[in-house]
Amino acid sequence: MRRLPPIGHIIFILAVLLTGFLIENTYYFQLLVFVGIHTLLALGLNMLMGYAGQISLGHAAFYGIGAYTTAILTATYGFSPWAALPCAVLLASAVAYVVGLPTLKLSGYYLGMGTLGFGMIGFIVFREWSSLTGGSSGFVGIPPLEIGPVSFYSGRSYFFLVWTVVLGIIILCRRLIDSRTGRALRSIHDSEKASRAIGVDTMALKLRVFVFSAAVAALAGFLYAHFVTFISPGTFDFLASVRMVTMVVIGGMASVWGALLGAFLLTLLPEWLHAFSEFEMVVYGLILMGVMIVLPRGLFRGLLDVFEGAREQTAKRSGGVNGR
Amino acid sequence: MVDNPNGPLLAVQSVSKSFGGVQALSDITFDVDPGMVMGLIGPNGAGKTTLFNVVTGAYPADTGDIIFEGIRVPGRKIHQVVGLGVARTFQNVELFESMTVLENVMVGRHIRTRSGFWGAMTRLPGVLREEKEIRDRSLDLLSFVGLQDEAHRQSGDLPFGWQRLLEIARALASDPKLLLLDEPAAGLNAVETGQLGELLERIRDLGVTLMLVEHDMSLTMKVSDRIVVLDQGRMLAQGTPREVQSDEAVMAAYLGGGHASN
Repeated sequence: MRRLPPIGHIIFILAVLLTGFLIENTYYFQLLVFVGIHTLLALGLNMLMGYAGQISLGHAAFYGIGAYTTAILTATYGFSPWAALPCAVLLASAVAYVVGLPTLKLSGYYLGMGTLGFGMIGFIVFREWSSLTGGSSGFVGIPPLEIGPVSFYSGRSYFFLVWTVVLGIIILCRRLIDSRTGRALRSIHDSEKASRAIGVDTMALKLRVFVFSAAVAALAGFLYAHFVTFISPGTFDFLASVRMVTMVVIGGMASVWGALLGAFLLTLLPEWLHAFSEFEMVVYGLILMGVMIVLPRGLFRGLLDVFEGAREQTAKRSGGVNGR
Repeated sequence: MVDNPNGPLLAVQSVSKSFGGVQALSDITFDVDPGMVMGLIGPNGAGKTTLFNVVTGAYPADTGDIIFEGIRVPGRKIHQVVGLGVARTFQNVELFESMTVLENVMVGRHIRTRSGFWGAMTRLPGVLREEKEIRDRSLDLLSFVGLQDEAHRQSGDLPFGWQRLLEIARALASDPKLLLLDEPAAGLNAVETGQLGELLERIRDLGVTLMLVEHDMSLTMKVSDRIVVLDQGRMLAQGTPREVQSDEAVMAAYLGGGHASN
């Protein structure tokens, strides 16, 4: 990890700029905006799963809280989106705190079940509280984003907005990981027993990282709502939570770039697989299984290992020649 | 800082603890004075590790009290007890294996440092200063145990003997007044055990009081000032190594009892 910080960021910025200016197709922009939003979701969840070692099967609810809060505040009550954003993030954080307090006392399967239950409740609230959320027919008329004279109406401008936010969150996550708090988080993942024994208040720290990941999910929900301008409960159902977990696992836990790769693969794969028509989901499942079997540590680590393995081979070969 | 400067650092008072029907500790009472090395011996299942867990606040005692520097330990969370100045190592070395050797020690500084989520994200000067302080202190501790050249290795890759040393360095990072070592010599060869004995002396010279559970009798007898002997949860004897060695109850139950463990 430590060997790529600035280079990684520079490559990232170049890639975003190049793509942003080279692509003309609105459909591609739309896809890449979704990849960016999913990357945010995976980044937040990765802090919880990859670094703190806790699972959440209910994160779509925080994503939904972010989207619905901004939708209701802006469309129903006429707030500016920029005033709605802190409300959405704060509400999701507060809910995460209240939910996390009892739930994070659980671990393993039980934590999975607990958060799953929370996710279900979230989905039901979005669907049934129709006076506020529009119910299962969805919520229409969410205004697009504007900053002064700049309007994020086009695919390209929204693309730049989302990916700037992604870069910001990547930097935040990396700073967090390489800090006192981050080390304590990683220590929980490795051995909670030892972590406690050297003085880490593991419960408080787990709760804090849960709140952080919920806040990032709400930010993603905000960006989603103002991009599509129409939201419905189906986007925030149980499967959405599972997809988030899958992105983190496929990309590679405990890796910021892994979250990015996972979000890319899981967002773009269904698009590439349209050709298989009715077999689409089968192929999709097979590819995910294949990745996990071949690269059990996820795409990012797996590819790094392959790359380093190849380099070591070459080094060994040239070293051997010199030796003789 | 010390409420009663002449009193014991740690007072274990009539502590009992049972798990289901098993009486793991019954009515244990002893004091640990500042600056001493207290050895804790007894056959497997005597309750030594349970006693450690009770002293560090990991398990609540059923009855009795633990007083550290005049402060009651029961009812406090583990990290608060670490904050009071009690650190420990584990029988089966519990390192953070995905982290580097240096990072392991740096986590050990956690309780003595402050910066949190916001600090990490903003990286204000104060936070960076603290980070440097953590790093410098951790490097010093690595030199203290002799692992300075391994700082950037993955901790899980270290040979076992070094993992034990690293765990001690990590525990020292929390500036403990009392350090509990659970079988620090287990799995070490004779040379390593000798070096460990030397290290324990140097830790004592830092002013850290030590309490160790150990099966290696020659090491325990050599480094301990006092010894407490446990057997099946009961306290069989306590005294200087010489007194304990000549104690009849100990001879009968433990030393004379066929050397059940090492």
